[in-house]
Amino acid sequence: MSEMQMALTNTAGITSVMSFWVFAASNGFKQRKDLMVKIGSGAMVLAFVSLTAAIIIRGIDAQRFPLANLYESLLWFAWATMGSYLVLAKAYGVRQLGWLASLTALLMFLYGSWLPQSQHDIQPLVPALVSYWRWIHVPPLIVSYALFFLGGLAGFIQLYMAGRIQSLITAIVTVCLALLAVVLGTFTTVDTAWLQILFAGASLVGSVISFKLLQRVDKKIGDAKLAEVYDDVSYRCIAIGMPALTFGIITGGLWANHAWGTYWSWDPKESMALVTWLSYAAYIHLRVHRECSAERLALVSIVGLLLTLMTYLGFNSLGLGGLHSYGKFK
Amino acid sequence: MRRPTKQNTRQETRTHVNTESEKTDLKPQTSVKNVLASVKLTIFLMSLTALTVLIGAWCPQESANGKEKVVEQFGAETAKLLTQFGITDIYHSPWFLSLIAMLTVNMIACSFMRVFPRVKLLNKPLPFIGGREIGKLPVNTSVNITKGEKSAFTAIALKLASKGFKVSTNEERLLAEYGKYGRLAATVTHIGLLTLLVGVTITSWTGFSGFQPVLLNSHLDFHESEHSKLWIGKLPDWTVRVDETRREDHPTGEAKQWFSKLTVIDKNGKEVKTQEISVNNPLSYDGVDIYQSSWGLDHLILNFNGNERRLDLRPMGKLYAAFLPLDQDTMMLFSVRADGKPIKVFAKRPDWEGPRMLTELSKDKPAKLGPVTISLIKTMPVTGLQYKCDPGLPITYIAFGFIIVGVLMAAIPHRHVWVSFENNVLYFGGRSVKDKVGFERLIKAFETQLTKDFGEPKPEISLETQPNTDAETQQSSSSQSSDSDAQAQSSSDADTKKTSSPSKQNKKELAASAPGSGNTENAQGDS
Repeated sequence: MSEMQMALTNTAGITSVMSFWVFAASNGFKQRKDLMVKIGSGAMVLAFVSLTAAIIIRGIDAQRFPLANLYESLLWFAWATMGSYLVLAKAYGVRQLGWLASLTALLMFLYGSWLPQSQHDIQPLVPALVSYWRWIHVPPLIVSYALFFLGGLAGFIQLYMAGRIQSLITAIVTVCLALLAVVLGTFTTVDTAWLQILFAGASLVGSVISFKLLQRVDKKIGDAKLAEVYDDVSYRCIAIGMPALTFGIITGGLWANHAWGTYWSWDPKESMALVTWLSYAAYIHLRVHRECSAERLALVSIVGLLLTLMTYLGFNSLGLGGLHSYGKFK
Repeated sequence: MRRPTKQNTRQETRTHVNTESEKTDLKPQTSVKNVLASVKLTIFLMSLTALTVLIGAWCPQESANGKEKVVEQFGAETAKLLTQFGITDIYHSPWFLSLIAMLTVNMIACSFMRVFPRVKLLNKPLPFIGGREIGKLPVNTSVNITKGEKSAFTAIALKLASKGFKVSTNEERLLAEYGKYGRLAATVTHIGLLTLLVGVTITSWTGFSGFQPVLLNSHLDFHESEHSKLWIGKLPDWTVRVDETRREDHPTGEAKQWFSKLTVIDKNGKEVKTQEISVNNPLSYDGVDIYQSSWGLDHLILNFNGNERRLDLRPMGKLYAAFLPLDQDTMMLFSVRADGKPIKVFAKRPDWEGPRMLTELSKDKPAKLGPVTISLIKTMPVTGLQYKCDPGLPITYIAFGFIIVGVLMAAIPHRHVWVSFENNVLYFGGRSVKDKVGFERLIKAFETQLTKDFGEPKPEISLETQPNTDAETQQSSSSQSSDSDAQAQSSSDADTKKTSSPSKQNKKELAASAPGSGNTENAQGDS
């Protein structure tokens, strides 16, 4: 890893921390709020630009498309999250999403920096990855994951703005437990069976309780107008993430047909991508059907976030194995 | 005036009925046909399928990993239980297959009863509507024109056109549409999915695939191929002979590439095609692709004092080895690295620390071990050939194309704007099912600009259409001022009033008209 690349990656990490704190703190001020939001956005732009440069320099250093292992995919994920947020912020002015987006990017940086040195070093490609399909198949998937994450995060804010506080807290605890399972699975030797139970159990129980708690509304909190905005933002993220996911899955099929002689082999990662696709397809049909309240849809987008987390990171760290284990390092 | 009138009456009723009657309104009768084509069923089946695939992703599948992997991961007891419930082969279980079958039936029914009929609506002209009806649209506003008169009308037409709207005018009324083809998204995606089903069905009914290790100079036939239970295809009557097969190594000793020279022989024994294949470079003949998928050495043929003997080779790391027990304790080992390389001969006894190398032999260099002369007749390579016949593939690829285009189109928001100029008031409004907020902003931007250029806003119009009964939204507008996010959202509200903000009166309309418009389409589609 060259010094330049290291410096740029660190800049991106530090500025995303800054942006997170400034965004989060801006809620505590009344008068200087606008200024703080501007600073937060500025920090985010800086983080985005330096991360873009870091990724490009990594590609030049490695003499290949820099998306080949878990560490690199995390950089891409953070990049896509920040980029999508900046676009959304420009279109919608959704500021509350800012600190959640920078928090997500930040967590990805942290997760990436905890990975062993072998992941940070530029290493030669595994023979299976030497193909031009790699840069066609993988980036749309990472972008779709980032958009689904943002969609879920917008769902959180929607719940807050709609005054569904108890449901929101349950959902946050659920996502945190799922993240905990992923982190434990990556960095410790805890039996993956327990972590699978933690992930699946938390997701299942948490989602059911959240749905039940939707009936409890705290009318003192929130803002119906903003709830509607975040509902729309969530839908927009998913509506753009869905084509990206579909494109990624299909180009994966084409690559597989080229390399393995079959475009679909029920590999666990393929299956997980299909699960994610089906869930978001169900979400879109729920929208079309128009019988589902915005709050329920927000929770569905959060369930989608959990599935995305499972597909993207949970898959390797919780030991599902299969043909897509390039991101694995243990 | 057909559609909006219909829609507006629906809106009126919608705003006053509760959700229960709304449901009954949506589904006037429950016949088998309606249940099959219901979106509720789609969502239900999709969720169940997702759950099933999730379990399949979690549990190692026998077809991909073998039974041993399941036992290894879960222990014999649990593995047995999992097998009993069909979880270890979930993608072939009756449960999964019937889910897919139901989803297919549902998709076909939905496609033909709901999705495809909407294409007809695409070119159906919508009527030009007046100020009163515009006031009932989900997003609407009006501007009092005090200067410039009709030029305001022209200005908004130009503005809409510059935003990519297709504008048509009729005297002092205007109708503009954006993202018309976005409405085809569902149709194109569903066509793609149905095509995919056709492709997959053709392949599963007529295609086959398999793997066969073939010795040098032997033939590949297709008798052990796998295909589905419902199969109407036929296996080739030709065979493939392996004329040559070899391995190329990296300097480090790892395999770099495998090659096999194959000859296709038709049923009359005539040679039709010869080609050398390697990994990623298959032979195609008569719709069948033959891939190089593995390579190895199968056996040795040695001559012991004139007696030929065949010894099977096993892969041992980078080498292949054959074992020949001489008596209870002594074992002879023959190891070979590659075809054509000399063979090392070892002996192993339990009282020795490791095997001891005795001698080396090659084709032209026999070895003498005491009274026995050993000579090498040949090492026999084996090439692993993977083959498949996938007649549905071109259709599947076309389906992929449709699906990608369809989901991309789904991201295009579809918008309608109506404008009417009556008594020096410019009324305008519209609807956008997707990206509502963006649309509201667009309308608001128009309002601000037009007010600046041509006059002042006239807030009464949409205020008087309905009394505000929505407690939640009332509370929301009171809390709005305390939140800066809201201030950002409604920064322009201060000077333009909140007429077009859906958080007030129109919010209910917006919520109600959305199902209304969709339902209108459905209702028309069903008929």
